[in-house]
Amino acid sequence: MFVTKQIESEHKDLIHDVSFDFYGKRMASCSSDQSVKVWDLGEDGEWKCTATWKTHSGSVFRVTWAHPEFGQVLATCSFDRQAAVWEESFGDVGREGVKSNWIKKSILVDSRTAVTDVKFAPKHLGLQLAICCSDGMVRIYECPDVMNISQWSLQHDIQTKFKCSCLSWNSSRMHPPMIAVGSDDNNPSGGGKCQVFEYNDSTRKWTKVETIVAVTDPVHDVAFAPNLGRSYHLLAIASKELKIISLTPLGRDSVIGNQSVVSRFEMKQVASFTDHESPVWRVSWNVTGTVLSSSGDDGCVRLWKANYLGRWKGISILKGDASQTRQDRNFSANPSQNPAGAVSQQSNEELVRMNIKRNSGWPSFNTKKDQGKTYY
Amino acid sequence: MAERERDIQTCCISDTSCQFGLQSVWGTGNQLFLFPGKNPLLSNERRPATGKNEQIREVQWDIDLHHPVLRKMVNDSHNIFVNLQRQATQLTGAAFHTQILNSSRHYRATQKAYLKDLDDMIGSTRDEEQRQQYMEHLKLLNISELIWSLCEILFIESPVGGLVVPKLLDWLKLHFITAGRLFDDLMKEEQPESKTTYWDTIFRLVLQGQIEKACRLLSLHSARQTDDFQTLINLLKRMPQLSNVYKGSSVAEFDMKWRHWRDECQRNYEEQKFSINPNLETVVRILCGEDAVFSEVKDCCDPWYHMLISKALYQDPTVKACDLHYYIQGCQDAYRSTTRLGELDSILLSALESDVYQVIKDSRTVFSNGWFVAHLTDLLHHCGQLDSHRLQFGSDLQREFLLLEYAGSLMSHHSLWIVGVSYLDHCAEFGRKYLELYLDHIPLDSEKKANKILKICEDRNMTEQAKSICKVMGMRCIRNKRLGAALTWFLRSKDVGFATVLAEKYLLEYSESGEFTNLDLIDYLGPSMLLSNRLTFLGKYREFHKLYSEGEYHAAGDLLLALLQARLAPKQFWITLLIDALPLLEKTELIFSSQQTRELMKCLEELTTEYKLGKKRDGLGFTEARKDQLDVLKLALSRNLPKAILQEGTVNLL
Repeated sequence: MFVTKQIESEHKDLIHDVSFDFYGKRMASCSSDQSVKVWDLGEDGEWKCTATWKTHSGSVFRVTWAHPEFGQVLATCSFDRQAAVWEESFGDVGREGVKSNWIKKSILVDSRTAVTDVKFAPKHLGLQLAICCSDGMVRIYECPDVMNISQWSLQHDIQTKFKCSCLSWNSSRMHPPMIAVGSDDNNPSGGGKCQVFEYNDSTRKWTKVETIVAVTDPVHDVAFAPNLGRSYHLLAIASKELKIISLTPLGRDSVIGNQSVVSRFEMKQVASFTDHESPVWRVSWNVTGTVLSSSGDDGCVRLWKANYLGRWKGISILKGDASQTRQDRNFSANPSQNPAGAVSQQSNEELVRMNIKRNSGWPSFNTKKDQGKTYY
Repeated sequence: MAERERDIQTCCISDTSCQFGLQSVWGTGNQLFLFPGKNPLLSNERRPATGKNEQIREVQWDIDLHHPVLRKMVNDSHNIFVNLQRQATQLTGAAFHTQILNSSRHYRATQKAYLKDLDDMIGSTRDEEQRQQYMEHLKLLNISELIWSLCEILFIESPVGGLVVPKLLDWLKLHFITAGRLFDDLMKEEQPESKTTYWDTIFRLVLQGQIEKACRLLSLHSARQTDDFQTLINLLKRMPQLSNVYKGSSVAEFDMKWRHWRDECQRNYEEQKFSINPNLETVVRILCGEDAVFSEVKDCCDPWYHMLISKALYQDPTVKACDLHYYIQGCQDAYRSTTRLGELDSILLSALESDVYQVIKDSRTVFSNGWFVAHLTDLLHHCGQLDSHRLQFGSDLQREFLLLEYAGSLMSHHSLWIVGVSYLDHCAEFGRKYLELYLDHIPLDSEKKANKILKICEDRNMTEQAKSICKVMGMRCIRNKRLGAALTWFLRSKDVGFATVLAEKYLLEYSESGEFTNLDLIDYLGPSMLLSNRLTFLGKYREFHKLYSEGEYHAAGDLLLALLQARLAPKQFWITLLIDALPLLEKTELIFSSQQTRELMKCLEELTTEYKLGKKRDGLGFTEARKDQLDVLKLALSRNLPKAILQEGTVNLL
């Protein structure tokens, strides 16, 4: 029942990130070719590139949209140690055919190393931005006047003491601002590779509230699930395996004697999957936080869903396959040929069969060696 | 029974770049974006550019509900659903049960209507692929109708005295139409017995309990006058009809009659009355309910669930729904060699085993859109079928889980979302939270749509969402330089911050151009003006202008002073206000009293002092033109003061 559509990205190198705007009508992509592109979904259901610009002097790692309450605003971060904020120029609505114009509003240059991730805070916290760097710094910026988004001030410096690779905001309104930061440090003795920070209103500081010690392998992505009024927070971690951790707050900061109680969460590992049999690169939640997608080095994207008992199970796999011929490519690119129900089952079986050979070779597949082959 | 688990769906993405891995990002709804690539940090290692154009793939699934043909079914079933939920709060007992049954039939009617639409489209489409797609839909829909009607009989209808066979026979007649069709064909023939299908048809009719038609066909045979034919027709005609049970006779009475009749069939068979004609003998063996004969005629009662009902009819016509499963094994064995059991079979099997949960679970995997399971589960929930199976979790949770799933697939559609909202309203536990989240993500393509969503938010008291929508719309208006429209949005959501920002924008515009835009809006602000101080000032200031132009100089003067005294006006705007006082001072008629004039002078002094301080600090000050204006003002004020004192003195003296 899958319908796929190809979009020629025209990026000249690896795409690092694709990001949706809040409504799923616009998309931004960034790449190693140091450029950013913005795509709009036309009336005909086709994605059209409405803006493309070369910006950083290094790979652009991540691109992310601010909430539309703040207008049409993007943030990017790059290997060149910078993060930048972009706004679509006023008066020129990005209609079909009209190339829209994105203006660099601010460059955040406090980092001394590559900026590995950038994320806007949930909208109820105002226009805030968090970035993390490979030197272990997490920085929170704020734009106090939403009518003038060129003014960003550094609000907080957080030292994580590990090489940060990714971060995620908790979008829950019911809880103080919270960020999870992951590290892709290869040293397994370095302890937990994922830390959770929380903003304390009384001290006006971000403090570490948890280190997830269960994860000692490099973490490549973290993502808080949208909170549906649950009493706990769900955090997906992409590491050697895919983990889903639940964090249940145990009430507010309490001080017993002179000792303040540090751990205020009950942490539980809700699920752990090794199905990728290789590092997991990416985790991403759907709008309601009910389905999780994970992608790994095995070239597969897997979808996970909890049943009404809260048990997580794989529901679908999307396999990348480089070995197919052009004819096959046309097949999957054409949605109408992927019919519903029983017949698609049949064709799926066929596709799976084609995959078996390739799939069985994956665990011993040497990526670097094979990449080399294609280059030289 | 072992749980039958769903196989994981697999989809293949063919792209040579996938050797670098594949990454995915969620869109809205069932939509993923895939792009080849690895962890970004790998590019720290100097790696030559691939030099080829990369591709992004949009993958969507389970979107068949979004097909325009389905819209009617979605809307119709929504009406039935809402109606049933309303009845659930008003009716109880038998009256409600009738309503549930009605709803179930309505649901089936919408499926039938959709079937017909599909059939028409298959006829009219020329696109072979399209047709193939429709055919698939048609097949799936037929299956769903078959399952639904069986569930309706077994779980919802629960006929009088627990008798299910008559209902099941109706079900057979409706879904296995071959017998009826063959019968009609044969009736047109001169000599039906010469056709090869003659006896097959009779077997089929008898197996479906269509005795009357079987008799008619038999009486067309050339040998109908012979003894054996007459005996059989006679036996068939005297077969006790189960439907009589509904007409007053008791089950026990029927049972007795049935036994008598069957003994008679048995006796006739044992007396070898039909030995000349093996076909007649087969018929009488069926009537006797002989086990072996069903395997012999298995081609006429394919598939197994057909045989099951035929067997039940002749072996145990008063069987209860819960005992049907005793027959399953034998019937399935008869067909095992020829066909493999598919998904449909396992669902029907679970239904006949009264395993409601398994039916729901399996149906969910077969019908990818949540329509079928969501509505069926809701029905079963209302007639209490799920309560009896209550496990450690609440059964309501499962109904809600499925409804949420169905509503979710509607919410990502550009127009069906409004139906989804209604389903979410009926999910007590999580519906509201889901709705809040979904409403945030509905694209605000037009003001009309935004208003529609706002209405939904307001009806449900979702202030946060309403505020956010107004903010988004307002920002968009500001961006398009439509300040008036923007202000309307912010007023609607009572957004203090943005209303202030906009009021300032208006004032700035005025001090730059000397004119107000969107006069009508500002004039009719009314009580909403009190939302923010700046907005109040804007409204009042505009009122001053109006009074002035209407010649109400005294009132205008009072208002102007009040604005200054109440410190509603921003400091940088004082100068404009004071200069506005100038024409009033220069009227021949006295406007400001001595007291008021002193107040004005005080304000002017305060302003200039502040500016002087500011000048020292920031090097800012008045422009030359401004200075001149202020000098004129000073002069006018000092002229006005004695005039006022004089006049007041005179009045006092008088």
